[in-house]
Amino acid sequence: MSNNNHNPRKKNFQIEAFKHRVVVDPKYADRTWKILEHAIAEIYNHNASGLSFEELYRNAYNLVLHKFGEKLYSGLVTAMTAHLKEICNSIESAQGDSFLEMINRKWNDHNKALHMIRDIVMYMDRTYVSSTKKTPVHELGLNLWRDHIVQSSKIQTRLRNTLLELVRKERLGEVVDRLLMRNVIKMLMELGELVYLEDFEKPFLDASAEFYKGESQRFVESCDCGDYLKKAEKPLAEEVERVAHYLDEKTEAKITSVVEREMISNHIQRLVHMENSGLVKMLVEDKFEDLSRMYTLFGRVEKGLATVRDVMTLHLREMGKQIVTDPEKSKDPVEFVQRLLNERDKYDEIITKSFNNDKTFQNLLVSSFEFFINLNNRSPEFISLFVDDKMRKGVKGSGEEELEVVFEKVMILFRYLHEKDVFEKYYKQHLAKRLLSGRTVSDDAERSLIVKLKTECGYQFTSKLEGMFTDMKTSQDTVKGFYNTHPELSEGTTISVQILTTGFWPAQPTVPCNLPAEVSVLCEKFKSHYLGTHNGRRLSWQTNMGTADVKATFGKSQRHELNVSTFQMCVLMLFNGSDRLSYKEIEQATEIPRSDLKRCLQSMACVKGKNVLRKEPLSREIGEEDCFVVNEKFVSKFYKVKIGTVVAQKETETEKFETRHRVEEDRKPQIEAAVVRIMKSRKVLDHNNVIAEVTKMLQGRFLANPAEIKKRIESLIEPKKLDLADNKLLIRKAAEIRRLCDVQFDSSIIGVGEICKAVICLEMAASRIKLNVKELAIQFGCVRIITTVQKSLSAYKERFLASLPVSRRANTDFTRPVFTAAAFFLCARKQKLKVDKHRLIEVCGTSESEFSCVLTSMMDLCFEFFGVSKEKKDPKELNSGQGLVDVLPKKRRHDDSSDDEPSCYKREKKMEETKLETQQELKVLA
Amino acid sequence: MRETVKLISMEGFEFVIDREAAMVSQTIRSMLTSPGGFSESKDGVVTFPDISTTILEKICQYFYWSLQYSRGKETEFYIEPELTLELMMAANYLHT
Repeated sequence: MSNNNHNPRKKNFQIEAFKHRVVVDPKYADRTWKILEHAIAEIYNHNASGLSFEELYRNAYNLVLHKFGEKLYSGLVTAMTAHLKEICNSIESAQGDSFLEMINRKWNDHNKALHMIRDIVMYMDRTYVSSTKKTPVHELGLNLWRDHIVQSSKIQTRLRNTLLELVRKERLGEVVDRLLMRNVIKMLMELGELVYLEDFEKPFLDASAEFYKGESQRFVESCDCGDYLKKAEKPLAEEVERVAHYLDEKTEAKITSVVEREMISNHIQRLVHMENSGLVKMLVEDKFEDLSRMYTLFGRVEKGLATVRDVMTLHLREMGKQIVTDPEKSKDPVEFVQRLLNERDKYDEIITKSFNNDKTFQNLLVSSFEFFINLNNRSPEFISLFVDDKMRKGVKGSGEEELEVVFEKVMILFRYLHEKDVFEKYYKQHLAKRLLSGRTVSDDAERSLIVKLKTECGYQFTSKLEGMFTDMKTSQDTVKGFYNTHPELSEGTTISVQILTTGFWPAQPTVPCNLPAEVSVLCEKFKSHYLGTHNGRRLSWQTNMGTADVKATFGKSQRHELNVSTFQMCVLMLFNGSDRLSYKEIEQATEIPRSDLKRCLQSMACVKGKNVLRKEPLSREIGEEDCFVVNEKFVSKFYKVKIGTVVAQKETETEKFETRHRVEEDRKPQIEAAVVRIMKSRKVLDHNNVIAEVTKMLQGRFLANPAEIKKRIESLIEPKKLDLADNKLLIRKAAEIRRLCDVQFDSSIIGVGEICKAVICLEMAASRIKLNVKELAIQFGCVRIITTVQKSLSAYKERFLASLPVSRRANTDFTRPVFTAAAFFLCARKQKLKVDKHRLIEVCGTSESEFSCVLTSMMDLCFEFFGVSKEKKDPKELNSGQGLVDVLPKKRRHDDSSDDEPSCYKREKKMEETKLETQQELKVLA
Repeated sequence: MRETVKLISMEGFEFVIDREAAMVSQTIRSMLTSPGGFSESKDGVVTFPDISTTILEKICQYFYWSLQYSRGKETEFYIEPELTLELMMAANYLHT
């Protein structure tokens, strides 16, 4: 901006010329520049105090104003470069340790100088630089520094090495000047991200990797797993701290991953499998701290936890398999289950304490347990026995809550079982024994366990068990009622009866037994009392499950009360009559079966401390010729003595086999029911999917075997082995009834064979297909003709019967649906209502030919009800009854049912062609 | 806080204003806060051999007005037309 005159707005004003005239000559520029150059030098020499900012600023301002910005800028560059070169030299010449210090110092100086220079030439920065797009001064300064110092070849390598050396020293434990390091590294960061990354970070990471590789190798060879883990934790913490102190925070993630990689992932396999201190040992010895350390450390690394999981799963399965298949353990089921519970508790604790209750570990615990529990197929039985044991004896030294806790744990084990229905069977048996012998520790505990089972498996599972409880309760009330009505009986011998509903309790065969007179009288009285209030029921005494309390006097005055089984009571009562009895006599008198009798005699004569009888000869085995005498010398500390309780035992081989077999049988109808349910909803489904769906559906009860499912499906497809292939509706109904009867109750009680059952079901199905006129009407939507139909039907019946010879009247059966259907059809036709004839035929389950015969007959006989046209025949003229009755087929013929189920529709078509044939058939039959 | 600085015009007039007011100008601000030991920051005195008294006076007024305005008092700042040119140049120089 040179001398331009500003045009005055008002004429009387005159702008004075500028006071300061700037001489536009290059000399001025040079001069000004010299001043500035000098100033810069002073600044670099820390001599800035004497300068006047304003003067310098003004100079710079003027230079730029007069378009000498270029000169200023380039001059600046040169000056700074020169100074920096000097600095470079001085740094290079620095000795050993002071190298870093020197750099730091010079850097600080440079920064300060740069700041000052920038302030001075701020105007240039604002205007010239932005217009010419050159680098701003500050950045310029940094770049120059970078180019000439940091990246000068000599300094660069030396700098890097020094830094790395220091880091290494620190890692080895020496103390290092952290502040210095921080500043230097900050310098690198300020010079640009790239500089930092290239010049420092990368070599740093490489060196660290090397270092830690060496370290970890050393450790692994010298320490065991636990120690190594401790040692491995340290560097991680250290490095994080180091980063916080003097490195850029972005390095943190990188260095951590380097350490993790070197110290952990490279050695995972080795660590985990380390003998005598690896994962397995830690698990076995409950080393919580070590395990949690392992968890945290391995958790950082990708495959760490997966490896841990795998090893743990293997170990669990191995261990579990050992427990489960150990023949020793299987001898005592309670021990067996207890051991399982303990193991489970132990690993649960480990997972909660050390593995932070990680879900994946919980899952693997579940799957491993599931795996090996089901390896032993007696597991369900054993678990039930365990529960039984606890119910009878309670948990040592503890109350209800403890029992609850134990049962919770048992439920967890239960969930692992695949064959829950086996468990159900055993549990039912054991529960029955417990309830009947009154040996439960706590009724509430029983009930709560049942509730737990219900929540787990659904209502169906526990309905029978609950039924058992109800029975017990009702029995109590009944007995009370009995004694209320017969108060005279409360003197002398008393009985207490439990009435068991057949379906709920496990099936038991009735065993014959001659009860002593006093008892049988009471039993009869009770029976009559009961049947008085509930008729239509049948009672049978289960003598093999009862107990009795007998007061006995031994010797002079030893009185004891003996708690014995019913059989034993019968035997003992015999001794009231005679002192000495032989085995044969006892057997005859009581009529108890041989094996049971032998067992109860054994428990009374051969067991130490309970030998109320003496046996001659004194041997364990009961022979036919043995004689029994009352043991006068019987002594016992207690007044009440328990003899020969019926304890739930492990089953013998045969019993086991039988139970299993029954379970298998029970499963068949369940599979079938599941298949039917699925097919009903899906209509069409391919084989594999069916199997998958069925397995899923039955999962809650047992693991279905695909081969078994296949067999069931086949048995459903193939028609029942009776000759009614035509009428699918009937067969389906019969099959349904059959399945129902299998599922709803244990049909072995009824004692019917398979074929018998099938026949009964068919009969029921067939006879159920009675047609109700009302139903028909609703089905076909012609409600108003109901009365007409009924009237016409009765009229037809009358007339038909009238026309029959007397002898044949009894044979006719008008309840057959055919007649109702025919009458219905004709009435509808008369009323001009549309009724689908073929559907009608299908519904009433007859055949086309038969139906039309009946139609014709009806039309002829009861014209006034049905007739539309003029045809009218004299009833007597008809080939009355004869042909009709004979036409009603006694035996169905397979018309054209080579393929599946040609429905009426298809048959109609065929019929039209073969009408002639049909009529011929009719004639043949007639 | 209530430090003052002295601004000296080309004729030698001294204007004493608050440091805060002076800081409105970027140039003066960097002068006073520059890291180097410039004389200005030490003494608290700035000379402007290029700026006349009237202009400098107006500039000081502007400083105070600016502070007021930023505190919410929105008044007008009147500039005599004959001063405008010089004022603008000074403003450019002072980066205000």
